[in-house]
Amino acid sequence: MSYNLNNPIARRATKVVYKDDGNTIKLFNEGYSKADIFNEALNQARVEEGTSLKIGKLKEVTTIDNKLGIVSNYVEGETLEELMRKNPEKMDEYLNLFVDIQMDVFSKKVPLINRMKDKYKNRIESSDLFEEHTKYDLLQRLEGMKNHFKLCHGDFVPSNIIVTESGEHYLIDWSHVTQGNASGDVAMTYLQLCMKGYKDIAEKYLNLYAEKSNTDKNYIQQWIPIVAAVQYVKQKPEEVEILKQWIDVIEPQ
Amino acid sequence: MSNYDIVDSTESLQKLIENVRKAQKEFATFSQEKVDKIFFAAAMAANKARIPLAKLAVEETGMGVIEDKVIKNNYAAEYIYNKYKNEKTVGVVDEDKSYGYRKVLEPIGLIGAVIPTTNPTSTAIFKTLICLKTRNGIIISPHPRAKKSTIEAAKIVLEAAVKAGAPEGIIGWIDVPSLDLTNMLMSEVDTILATGGPGMVKAAYSSGKPALGVGAGNVPAVIDESADIILAVNSIIHSKTFDNGMICASEQSCIVDSKIYDKVKDEFKKRGCYFLKPDEIEKVRKTIIINGALNAKIVGQKAHTIAELAGVKVPETTKVLIGEVESVDLSEEFAHEKLSPVLAMYKSENFEESIAKASKLIYDGGLGHTASLFINTMTEQEKMQKFYSSMPTCRVVINMPSSQGGIGDIYNFKITPSLTLGCGSWGGNSVSENVGIKHLLNVKTVVERRNNMLWVRMPEKVYIKRGCLPVAIEELKYVMDKKKVFIVTDKFLFENGYTKVVTDKLDEMGIQHTTFSNVAPDPNLACAKEGAKLMQEFKPDCIIAIGGGSAMDAGKIMWVLYEHPEADFLDMAMRFMDIRKRVYTFPKMGEKAYFIAVPTSAGTGSEVTPFAVITDEQTGVKYPLADYELLPKMAIVDADMMMNAPKGLTSASGIDALVHSIEAYVSMMATEFTDSMALEAIKIIFEYLPKAYEEGANNPVAREKMAHAATLAGMAFANAFLGICHSMGHKLGAFHHLPHGVTVSLVLNDVMRFNAEEVPYKMGTFPQYDHPHTLRRYAEIAEAIGITGKNDNEKLEKLLKKIDELKDSIGIKHTIKDYGIEEKDFLATLDEMSEQAFDDQCTGANPRYPTIEEIKNLYLKAYYGK
Repeated sequence: MSYNLNNPIARRATKVVYKDDGNTIKLFNEGYSKADIFNEALNQARVEEGTSLKIGKLKEVTTIDNKLGIVSNYVEGETLEELMRKNPEKMDEYLNLFVDIQMDVFSKKVPLINRMKDKYKNRIESSDLFEEHTKYDLLQRLEGMKNHFKLCHGDFVPSNIIVTESGEHYLIDWSHVTQGNASGDVAMTYLQLCMKGYKDIAEKYLNLYAEKSNTDKNYIQQWIPIVAAVQYVKQKPEEVEILKQWIDVIEPQ
Repeated sequence: MSNYDIVDSTESLQKLIENVRKAQKEFATFSQEKVDKIFFAAAMAANKARIPLAKLAVEETGMGVIEDKVIKNNYAAEYIYNKYKNEKTVGVVDEDKSYGYRKVLEPIGLIGAVIPTTNPTSTAIFKTLICLKTRNGIIISPHPRAKKSTIEAAKIVLEAAVKAGAPEGIIGWIDVPSLDLTNMLMSEVDTILATGGPGMVKAAYSSGKPALGVGAGNVPAVIDESADIILAVNSIIHSKTFDNGMICASEQSCIVDSKIYDKVKDEFKKRGCYFLKPDEIEKVRKTIIINGALNAKIVGQKAHTIAELAGVKVPETTKVLIGEVESVDLSEEFAHEKLSPVLAMYKSENFEESIAKASKLIYDGGLGHTASLFINTMTEQEKMQKFYSSMPTCRVVINMPSSQGGIGDIYNFKITPSLTLGCGSWGGNSVSENVGIKHLLNVKTVVERRNNMLWVRMPEKVYIKRGCLPVAIEELKYVMDKKKVFIVTDKFLFENGYTKVVTDKLDEMGIQHTTFSNVAPDPNLACAKEGAKLMQEFKPDCIIAIGGGSAMDAGKIMWVLYEHPEADFLDMAMRFMDIRKRVYTFPKMGEKAYFIAVPTSAGTGSEVTPFAVITDEQTGVKYPLADYELLPKMAIVDADMMMNAPKGLTSASGIDALVHSIEAYVSMMATEFTDSMALEAIKIIFEYLPKAYEEGANNPVAREKMAHAATLAGMAFANAFLGICHSMGHKLGAFHHLPHGVTVSLVLNDVMRFNAEEVPYKMGTFPQYDHPHTLRRYAEIAEAIGITGKNDNEKLEKLLKKIDELKDSIGIKHTIKDYGIEEKDFLATLDEMSEQAFDDQCTGANPRYPTIEEIKNLYLKAYYGK
């Protein structure tokens, strides 16, 4: 199939996302890992087939001008982030919805998807950005975490939730999906919110999730140094200083 | 000696593991003397290096205080040596020759030790020393932050040990620690000694190897209103500043009673502590804890440094930063473990609130570790008890600095000195004590076979010979000075004047008496209760049971109910394997009344046995009671009381006595003492039972012989117990209402063949019964009554024939069927009967352990006679 690439809706360092006639085309830069692209498409297909979650449906992986692209159904609507910005007075309602959707995702199992602990371990281990002892402590901390097999979106932020006109909500961008410990995913969401400057919302979110899921907040917080390290590897200039502080902590003795 | 292969990969670690294992194999053969010499040399070397090691640790980790690390190193060398220098860790440490028992200590093998950053040298010294003392090899996985100093400490201990004779390479280490190597080490060693954070301890426990892992602390110090404030405050400061607060047992918060709060605060201030102002508290909060985790930058730093990091100005010499806070919840940063001279201070309204606050802090961060209390121990013992009962910690230290108190031997002298403090199940650990050498030893127990102790018990007096009854009764007045006698008998005996000989004598001596004559055959609980009620009213100081088994058993039960109305029959009747190990302690008997048994038939032996059977008339359940407390104090065996016994009674009770003696003779618990009585009884019964049966009162000699034989048999089985003839007989009687003596004789022959089997499916369990040899025992019985034969099997067959002849001569039939039990009735009850017989108390002493199926087959044979 050929696509009209005149309507880019998002540009990232490694990809451009286009909208064309009911399709979303996520076109990766030339040279981008084939394995990663196919893996993302495979994960998306697995979630689509293995759960009842509403997501942008995968259509195909295609090549356009020597570039690989993932084509999915375009979901018409506004992101939850946009809604939050537009209607700040409804923040509590949105946060409740946000947590409910995330807990719904956690309730699913998709057995063949990568394990969160493996992914994080690999990220930390293969990086040379950490001091030897910091790496040791981080990996130790990660290894001590309980092995769960819940579906975790991996980049669960309000901008990845699209609310349609009829009020249905769709979850998009499954490139970071893993199966693992829900608290790890919650810690990642908390971190992403903080990094985007929504510190207050992040706090509210964390408390709300802890309350709704009956999870010890401290248990979730134990994941923060780990997800901070995973994020730190990306070396986003505006984040490194704060993430360094988040990472440099010590377990009780 | 200073060239060691670098361990930085799985291959080099594998090689190290092999080398240390090899060294340990040799070390395991060392004598105590050699081990102690090595232990001494290693401790001396570590102690000598205390200052350089302390300097190295501080330099490398940037944490703590050199002078305090010197103390820790010194402690790890000296106190550990002192504690264990005289302790035996090699070979036999405990021996009991009469029990044939030995406790032998063996090393575990290879220990994997994980060492934390907070105590990198002292923990290394501690762990290597206790491994040397216990002949274990050890491989250390240091923390990357402190690897140089940890390895240096291990090297110093190793070199001194080898110089003193230890195998080369008995201590090893990972030079370039990584999680993979640590995990590999944990999965390869024999036991893990894990000190560190929860992640590492969890990894240790999940490695699949036994782990001595210990947990984190979050020690609250409660200062009670009765406390010595100066002592309390200065102890906390002393502990909190020690190595800049890095000891896991260090106080993290203090909870102060409001009545003394200000005084405590003043004392803290006076001694150089800084109370943070509200805005400063907020700054310090954000500095010490980041997202609920402890900021690594503040660990082991001076108070002033931490304040500076937080942007708070405090004097350079500040000892401890104190934040006065309210919440004990983890949302309060000050409620966390801080591993630095930062302390939370809480005000509490009373002691209960202090306990509640302390508990919460422990639950959230220091389960199982340590709790501290300052209190007046002279006046507040009750509060103290309340405190230590409430704390889910393995150590509760009172009136002392908890850092130094928890590790032991400095402010207290009975806790095992250690740098690895167990947190018990509360902390998810396998040890709750301070870890020491006992955790690094395999205790091997060597036991030699021994015979089970046995005894011979019988009434203190057994009167025998015809006409002994009135003579014996005289004792009641002239020897024992008894005032009131209660007689238990049955209607027939009472109405036929059997008790008169006793009551006449009592009247003559002026002893008050009353008679209960309402005992029926197979006496029931209602009857016993009725008798006991009369006893309660009459208050006898002596009970005389006159009659056959029923009257004597009923008398025994009444005696129990009279002396112990509170006793529960179900408890007393509980089946046991060994009468001396039974769960239930039988109540002490004889405190109210002296019990005398006078048999009127030659058979049951109840006059000399510790047994009694009683039926609950409401449920039909038979309670067999057995305990030496039930043994009559006196038995009076006077054949004059038996002269006119009817034929049926003579045969049934006579054959019962024969079965008693045969079963006692082949019982696993038979001894020479019971054997002689059993054999003599058997001889008498074969000769005199037919005569007593045929001639009755006309042959008083036979009557007397039978009386004595029955009592001898009773004494034998009172001590050697019985077997499955009785197990089966009891249930056959219960289900099909045949006289007891008849039921046991009906199964006798088949049971004897069953027991004589030399390759039984299962033999009985008793140390004295070393192999299936019951055929020989039956042959001995045969020989005793003059039977000869070419082998034991032939002797057994002849003995069985002789038993059949005896039965014939006294009118006892051979099969159950012969007694008119309908086949369908018998078969309908067979399974239940078999199972109950299997579970009968008498089964335990039988030389062959029967299966339920085997019992069933025996019943079938006894029924059909084939």
